[in-house]
Amino acid sequence: MLSAPTTMRKVSLYMLDADAQKAAMTLARMAVMHPLETDHGTLPLDEFPAASYQTVYHDLNSRFEKIKVLSHQNFESPVDSAEVVTLEQLQALDSELKSIWLQVSDIEEQLRRQTEKTSVVRQLSHSLQKFSSLDLDLSRLRRDGDFLRIVVGTVPSINFDQLKRALSLTHFMIQSFYTGEGAQHVVIFGSTEQHEDVQELLKSADFRGLNIPEEFSGSPSQLQADMDRQVTQSEQSIDALNQQLSELLSGNKAKLASARELLIRARPYASLASVLKGRGGLVSIQGWVPAHCQQRVRRELEATLEFPFHIEFSEPTVKEFETVPSLLKESWVLKPFQDLVKNFGIPAYKEVDPSSLFALSYILMFGMMFGDIGHGFVILLGSFLLYKRFAAVAIVGVLAGLSSILFGFVYGSIFGYEEVIHAFWMSPMHDPVRVLLVAVVWGASFLLVANALAIRNYLAIAQHQQAFYSGKGLAGMCFYLAAIYAGYQIVNGQAFGWFEAVLLMMPMSVILWFQWSQSSGGLVERVLVVFIEGLEHIISNVSGTLSFLRVAAFSLNHIALAAAVFAIAGMLDVFGHWMTVVLGNIFIIVLEGAIVAIQCLRLEYYEGFSRFFSGKGKAFEPLKIER
Amino acid sequence: MSGFSSAYLHTRLSIFANRLIRLPRLLALIDLDLERILSNVNAITGRHYELDLAYDDRIENQLINHALEDFRVLIRPFSGAERRFFHFAIRWFELVNLKVLIRGKFTATDSSEIQQRLINLGNFADLPNKKLLETDDPYEMLRLLETTDYASIVRQARHVYEEQGNDLFLLDATIDRSFFIDLHRRTCFLKASDAEHLRQVMGGMMDRFNLLWLLRFRFSYGLSPAKSFYLLTSVGNKLNSVELMRLAKLDNFEAVIAALPEAYQSLLANVETISDIEIVMEYYSLAIAADTLRNSTSLVSRVFSYILLREAEVRFLQALIKGKQLGFDSALIKLAVGAVD
Repeated sequence: MLSAPTTMRKVSLYMLDADAQKAAMTLARMAVMHPLETDHGTLPLDEFPAASYQTVYHDLNSRFEKIKVLSHQNFESPVDSAEVVTLEQLQALDSELKSIWLQVSDIEEQLRRQTEKTSVVRQLSHSLQKFSSLDLDLSRLRRDGDFLRIVVGTVPSINFDQLKRALSLTHFMIQSFYTGEGAQHVVIFGSTEQHEDVQELLKSADFRGLNIPEEFSGSPSQLQADMDRQVTQSEQSIDALNQQLSELLSGNKAKLASARELLIRARPYASLASVLKGRGGLVSIQGWVPAHCQQRVRRELEATLEFPFHIEFSEPTVKEFETVPSLLKESWVLKPFQDLVKNFGIPAYKEVDPSSLFALSYILMFGMMFGDIGHGFVILLGSFLLYKRFAAVAIVGVLAGLSSILFGFVYGSIFGYEEVIHAFWMSPMHDPVRVLLVAVVWGASFLLVANALAIRNYLAIAQHQQAFYSGKGLAGMCFYLAAIYAGYQIVNGQAFGWFEAVLLMMPMSVILWFQWSQSSGGLVERVLVVFIEGLEHIISNVSGTLSFLRVAAFSLNHIALAAAVFAIAGMLDVFGHWMTVVLGNIFIIVLEGAIVAIQCLRLEYYEGFSRFFSGKGKAFEPLKIER
Repeated sequence: MSGFSSAYLHTRLSIFANRLIRLPRLLALIDLDLERILSNVNAITGRHYELDLAYDDRIENQLINHALEDFRVLIRPFSGAERRFFHFAIRWFELVNLKVLIRGKFTATDSSEIQQRLINLGNFADLPNKKLLETDDPYEMLRLLETTDYASIVRQARHVYEEQGNDLFLLDATIDRSFFIDLHRRTCFLKASDAEHLRQVMGGMMDRFNLLWLLRFRFSYGLSPAKSFYLLTSVGNKLNSVELMRLAKLDNFEAVIAALPEAYQSLLANVETISDIEIVMEYYSLAIAADTLRNSTSLVSRVFSYILLREAEVRFLQALIKGKQLGFDSALIKLAVGAVD
């Protein structure tokens, strides 16, 4: 039932540079090798032959992605081909895409300018509207007077105060007559003498002036028409640019499609740039492959490589365990539970994959905490309905629903009614003490299994001392069993005697001695560390066991909530009664169901995983063709 | 902030402040070899900087990353406007990257070379550096930058570029000015007492930049008084907007120095070049920050002062180590790190 990640072999492939691309393509098509960054032992391989290829690939890919975002093109699945892409092919295509992108970028810049221009004209038009009610000859604003210069326009609000102060140095004045969105509509006037200096200053302040065309000498309403015409022209330009962009992109559809195909085929070799090392025409690559794929890898390479090559497979050493990726066995039923396990961490190589145990215990605990035939049936039905849209949630829901129904029969509970059917084993309402006792036994068993898995994991990675002497190892397990025995004796009215004390002290001494041997620092510091660790071990065992009382607490809570619903329903007429019962049950299913689901996860993560599962593994990410 | 957090932060600040390398010790490092510089720095700061690590972890990045990590610790207890203020203040480090990117693209520098100059800011980074490096022309990069949190700063930079061309000093000054105006604006959202203390430190810093910019704009670029004044920030301490307007109208360097407020006049009495003024004013503003860090009752201004001092320390050490790595002699390094007698 429990499994560890797939057994791996380290593969080292030595070949001629001329075959490297074919090898990358072959391995990518098989999707079985996780590349490994390594120093290649004593071989002086200090060149990276695929580096320049990767640079061109990267440039081409980035240009392709930029154009693709704008083109909204749907690409067909590329033809499955093992043909390699040469550096020259990539370079040629890159220069073509660069040329297309520069045209696109130029149009985008023009669009930006036109949009900004339209916005400025709109702002000025807004300014003009403020003059519309005045009988004002606008041509006076155009004419340069002998002594006085007047300009009207907008300036960004953020620049206004500083501009006002700066203008005071030039004997000019600025007056805001309207505050628009992020801009002040202003009139500026002053001596003609310093006009040039002021012009420079206004440019820096991003001042946009109202241009009065020569032909206008009339009222503001006449100028308004000219501005409307400018806005229309700008909008037409924007439409034309958009059209130009669209034509450019659609005219290059075929090129983009072929670029995509080339990129897909070039990616395997490009992605090996940092791990493919070589010298003088010889290259080498290392990686991890599942042990059962060794022969297939050898055969495929023999069939595709042109020149002789050398390949060797080796078992990972204990030192290498940290670098070995974890490939978990897949199962559609376990998939949602595996995702929840990955949420905590990926099992390290050799570490047990707790997904199946997690699935079983999670589903059982959910049923124990939410045992009700009716509610379980609703969850089951709801999960079936959700399957098409949320498959993962639905699988968990179906199993949780079934578990809830099963424990509903055990408790004799249906939609909160406790007297309708007879309890098969125990009713939380009538025998709460037994339910609490079962929860404690369940918790103790859960912790013992977690302890056993921790020992197994330590042994698998050759940490024998941890496996036997640590708090999470055999010594910890003995201490916990001794504590359970002592607790049992006390509960049954027996005295805590020498025998129990010796039983507890023996494993605890081993744990403390081991902790002492592992600690460093001064004497006082070591004593403190060992004392605190020992205390922490005792507390965590007690609190961990008591944590499982919540399994019973929630089954009691379930009944209490149902009782509350029936109490309210009992005070109402027939319609009100059934309405309350239905709404109350929905409330229990949604709210309590969600809380129970979270509490189960909490017990799994904190009382289970944290005791035996490091989650420090690396996911198996093979070199593959990305379509 | 709770009394507990406040006490914690004051203690933390005192620990961090004790690890700052004081100016005389920094200057004394210049004459040592690289190994000894590093062992001295490690001994004083209690950190472990190493040479010859991979690109992402090279010494420049180690210095920045340790500083950012300490800032993170200091900022964590703050919330609301104070937290937002500090997050914005730390963007100063990313402005360095922003300038490198803009300068690099406008001078058609190779992307890999630009990348070498970028600082790795880890979680503090907001700029999409990878995408920005992949742009094919400066305008494409500006359009992309205008979609980031730096949009308003970039719009100002674009404006300067279109108006003045590829003038790096003006470009840098515009970016810095936009940043400082925004930073100053954010002090308005802080508690009045914090804002008051903070303005002392920020004011010293702004006086330094304003005086430098004013001298450059007026006498190196020959801009008019009005335009020169417009390009300043008007949020200084002793050099407020009235003072700056008065100075902007003066016609030569000596007249400006002579017309400075008394404190600056005596400070800069024997200084003859703009570069030296820059250095002296920086020391002066850092002295204000050091004093605030030591004596202020406002946590916000103490933390801000620490950020300023630490930033200067990082900059100094980066220049020193780079100089040593490139084999420059001590005199040249002294010039590069801004050491004056």
